[in-house]
Formats: sequence, structure tokens, C-alpha cells
Amino acid sequence: MSDSFLGTQAPLAADVVLLLEIAMGAGLLAGARLARKKRYRQHGWCQSIIVLLNLAVIGLTMAPSFRLHVLPRIPAKLSKPYFALATAHAALGSIAELAALYILLAAGTSVLPERMRITRYKLWMRTVLALWWLVLVLGLATYARWYVPNSPR
Amino acid sequence: MRRSVSVAVFIAVAVLGIAALGVKNSAVAAQQKPQNAEVKIDNFSFGPAALTVSAGSTVTWINHDDIPHTVASADDPKVFKSKVLDTDEKFSFTFTKAGTYAYFCSIHPKMTGKVVVQ
Repeated sequence: MSDSFLGTQAPLAADVVLLLEIAMGAGLLAGARLARKKRYRQHGWCQSIIVLLNLAVIGLTMAPSFRLHVLPRIPAKLSKPYFALATAHAALGSIAELAALYILLAAGTSVLPERMRITRYKLWMRTVLALWWLVLVLGLATYARWYVPNSPR
Repeated sequence: MRRSVSVAVFIAVAVLGIAALGVKNSAVAAQQKPQNAEVKIDNFSFGPAALTVSAGSTVTWINHDDIPHTVASADDPKVFKSKVLDTDEKFSFTFTKAGTYAYFCSIHPKMTGKVVVQ
């Protein structure tokens, strides 16, 4: 396992994920601006790629790490900030990712039955974007708590 | 007279030699007796980072840090691997075979240490 290039105690994979997630958060904001400029096709591609890339990152790195390091200690250790932060990040992150996938399917494809499609797209998309950024902030806090020696205890 | 001096010197040297051998053997025996050792985990490091014990000894790692750590053998397949250790939790392993066992924290891979088993 290679060392952190951000100068923390994290493994290399955690650094890569951190930077990827920040880039994806910024990418979603840029994608939202595309919608405001009525460039809906580019908006759809941008948000879709990010949501699917995030799904891969979750499946390949974050979920296995959570299952290995956090899941065995909850709920017993949820009173500890490092376990609580990681659990909140995982729970809200799962909801955000699932909601984003639902929007992709509802807005970008016709695989969902008519009654399961959404009509108030803006509300859904803005809510998920806000939730995504909340999850990103929780992710930054989790990284700091687990890997930065002098982060607030 | 000269001969008896030589015999006396020979006996003295022999006695001293046997005594020295006995001391050495008992020292080796004491060294090889299994003993328990402790490694403290604090401030993202193992202390001592390198530990020498005899075969049959049990090493206990105690997490005094305020974040979780693990203790995982660097060998493949892993010789030992702890669960995630919260503050003040311990993990023990008994080393039965001689060798050098490198280990690390799987959460913070910069944290490394080794146990030399004689």
C-alpha cells in the first residue's frame, strides 16, 4: 500500500478518492450551471458521468474500507466521533448516490414506468446537489479525523 | 614440583572454562525463555518499532491513540491481523516460530514495525 501524497497518514487510495470527490463536487456545480444556460444535453452528460464515476469509487474503495474498518464497530462505537462521522458520511452518501441514480434513470432514460418518473426535476436535482455537497463536507471531515494527526480531536 | 604446578594450572583453567560455559548456557537458556512484551500505539506510531523476543513469546499491542488503528502482518498470507482497535483496546499474538515479522496499520500504512523472534 503506497503512502499519502498529501502528507497525511492516509493510504494513497484515500488521497486519490479525496481529490476525485472534490473534483466531482465541483463538476456537479459546473453541470448545474450548464442547465441554467439551457445546455441540457451537456448538463445531462456531465451529471451522468459524475454520478456513475462516483458509483464506481464507492464500490471499489469506500464501501470495502467502510465494511472493513467501521461496520464491525457500529452501533457499539457510534459515540466516538471518528465512527460517527464515517457512518453519517456513508449513510447520507448512499442516499445521495441512490437519489442521483434515480434522477438519471427518470430524466435520462425511459426504463422507469410512467408513474415512477419525476415531474419536479429542479427540486429533485437541487435537493440532491445540496445533499451531495453535505456528504462531501462530511467526507472531508472524515478524512481529517482519520488521517490528519493534528486535526481537532 | 614443576609438574604439579602445571597440573594445578591445567585444573584451574579447566574449572574456569567449565564455569564460563555454564554461565553462558544459563544466559542463553534465560534468553530463550518465552516472555511477554508490549508495544504501545501512540501518535501514529508503534513503540518500540522493532522488538526482539524469543519463540513462544506473546506480544500485546495497546492502542493509546485517540483514533482507531490495526495491527496487520505484512506477510502474505497474513500471519496475524487485529480487528480495528479503538482507544485502549488490545491485541495479542503469540509468536511460535523464529523469524522477522514486519507489520503495519492497515488504516495508516505509514505506521510500521517489526518483531524479531529468536
